[in-house]
Amino acid sequence: MAIHEKSLISPGDLITTEKLVVDGVDVSGHWNTMMKPRYISDYDPDFYKIIQSYPGGENVHRCWQCGSCTNSCTMYAINSDFNPRYWIYLTNLGMKDEILKDRDIIWQCVSCNKCTNICPKDVKPEGVMKALQHWMEDEGHVGKSSATLFDEEFTRQCLARGRIEDTEVIHNFFTKTGQDLMQLIRKGWLGIMVARMNKWPLLREGRIGAFLARMPIAGPLRMGLAMVFKPRTKSWGRTGEVLRQYVEERQAKAGTIKTGINRA
Amino acid sequence: MNDTVLIIGAGPTGLSAAAGAAAVGKRVVLVEKENKLGGAPILSGYAKLVPSGEWAKDAIGRMVKRVEDDSRVTIHKGAKVSRLDGDFGNFTATLSNGQTVNAGAVILATGFTHFDSINKPEWGFGTYEDVVTTTQVEQMVGAGKIACPSDGRTPERVCILLCVGSRDRQIGREWCSKICCTVSTNLAMEIKELSPKTDVYIYYMDIRTFGLYEDKFYWRAQEEFHTKFVKARIAEVTKAPDGRLLVKGEDTLVKRPIVIPFDLVVHAIGMDPNLDNPEIAKVFGVELEHHGFLQRGEHYTATFSTTRRGIYVGGSALAPEDIDTCIAHGLGMAVRAVGDLTSAAQKAA
Repeated sequence: MAIHEKSLISPGDLITTEKLVVDGVDVSGHWNTMMKPRYISDYDPDFYKIIQSYPGGENVHRCWQCGSCTNSCTMYAINSDFNPRYWIYLTNLGMKDEILKDRDIIWQCVSCNKCTNICPKDVKPEGVMKALQHWMEDEGHVGKSSATLFDEEFTRQCLARGRIEDTEVIHNFFTKTGQDLMQLIRKGWLGIMVARMNKWPLLREGRIGAFLARMPIAGPLRMGLAMVFKPRTKSWGRTGEVLRQYVEERQAKAGTIKTGINRA
Repeated sequence: MNDTVLIIGAGPTGLSAAAGAAAVGKRVVLVEKENKLGGAPILSGYAKLVPSGEWAKDAIGRMVKRVEDDSRVTIHKGAKVSRLDGDFGNFTATLSNGQTVNAGAVILATGFTHFDSINKPEWGFGTYEDVVTTTQVEQMVGAGKIACPSDGRTPERVCILLCVGSRDRQIGREWCSKICCTVSTNLAMEIKELSPKTDVYIYYMDIRTFGLYEDKFYWRAQEEFHTKFVKARIAEVTKAPDGRLLVKGEDTLVKRPIVIPFDLVVHAIGMDPNLDNPEIAKVFGVELEHHGFLQRGEHYTATFSTTRRGIYVGGSALAPEDIDTCIAHGLGMAVRAVGDLTSAAQKAA
């Protein structure tokens, strides 16, 4: 099928049907491929306000499209589809569908903040990238990021008991992000990290008693017990509940910002 | 030798030149073809001027009153110069009202003509009632209400198209009209003030809010009034079945065609050479430059000279110009005219 400028057609805009009847005429076969109009037919003038409601997105409306962010961008040098200037423009005009076409790229921002330093209008493009990521998560356009899952688990434990248990945080984080803990211990970095906590030179010097005495046993044991008994901070009482209520009130006042607190 | 200064045109340039020449003690004859003084800001009903933010009728009104109250200034309204005889120091002008004026020097403050959008028919002016020009919106702001001319409704969404009759070789307008970007961003803010629920979009090739107009107009419109700036040159304006206007073009930053509905489309019209310029050139014996504005002479030591000795030109008769600069040109021309007359008189003595 030879279509001029086919690269300009999004795959989702092509509709091919096995059998197609138009006004009673069977056009199956040669004429079975239709293309949706590719022009932009409207703006969402208030979309930028949603992005502004996320931390980092406050100044997105100031952008005048000079392109300093993109030309200073670490990621753009590697992947020219990574174009902060373009996404900021789409945000200001409310072209959500166009932004979502890049949902698998926007998260690649490495937060080097060269864009933020160079931006002549103080748009803070790095913050806008983060805001867009969070918006896509909140709207369910992409799965929750690892960072969000971690925040949620961390916040949940804080509110419940006024403290976190490292083992429990790590365990639940790995479970939620689909990482096999046992596999990480046996073959992955976790096993290596724990093994390195031993004082192997003592063993090589033949000081077996000293080696065994320095083995990381007490700590892991305490952590394991904490997993079972889940101690709370002293006098925690209803503090967690009050904290949650306070944060929710503040957020209701501020608008639509969503954070780990609501989701936890 | 006559040391009266004859000034043609009573807009900001001519009013400033008249006040300047009178202030140093010369007699001034001011000839205005319309029956009202003030020039384009008054005749076209501008609202608030840039950059001062003062109402045109107040600011230009003060300029008019200053000249009207000056006993050294004689004013001819509704009159043109139909014939000019003589030379520097001894001009005789015959006016269309039959009177003659003797003067030593002539200042041409003949201004410009607004671009007539009918010359850009694909953008809908003259075809659809709700396609208007910046001067019409100035008048709406002056009247305190932004409305679609077709049915009087308040527009939900307005777009301003920049460079209408400017920077366009197709229609022989090979110049930037200089002030439309600033005027348009100012209007965008005024529209928002009068109708906070209206969204304003500006379609641009470049934004040229030069000098100190940058933050006061461009940045402020964008940051405080949330005017949307879209980098797109428009192909045509048509009408949707529901009566709204459709603006078609290419968004050059998204590289996609756009067809966007609007309630009101505003042409940011440029500044054409005064339609009377061929006549002015003939009557005063001066040349026009190739765009049709008045040709200036040597600039660095004979500032504001035309191609004829004793005749000076400035303001928007020379090129598209903003009001503040026109006022400065007026004073500059007064200095040149009075200075040349004085030194000629000294030499003769």
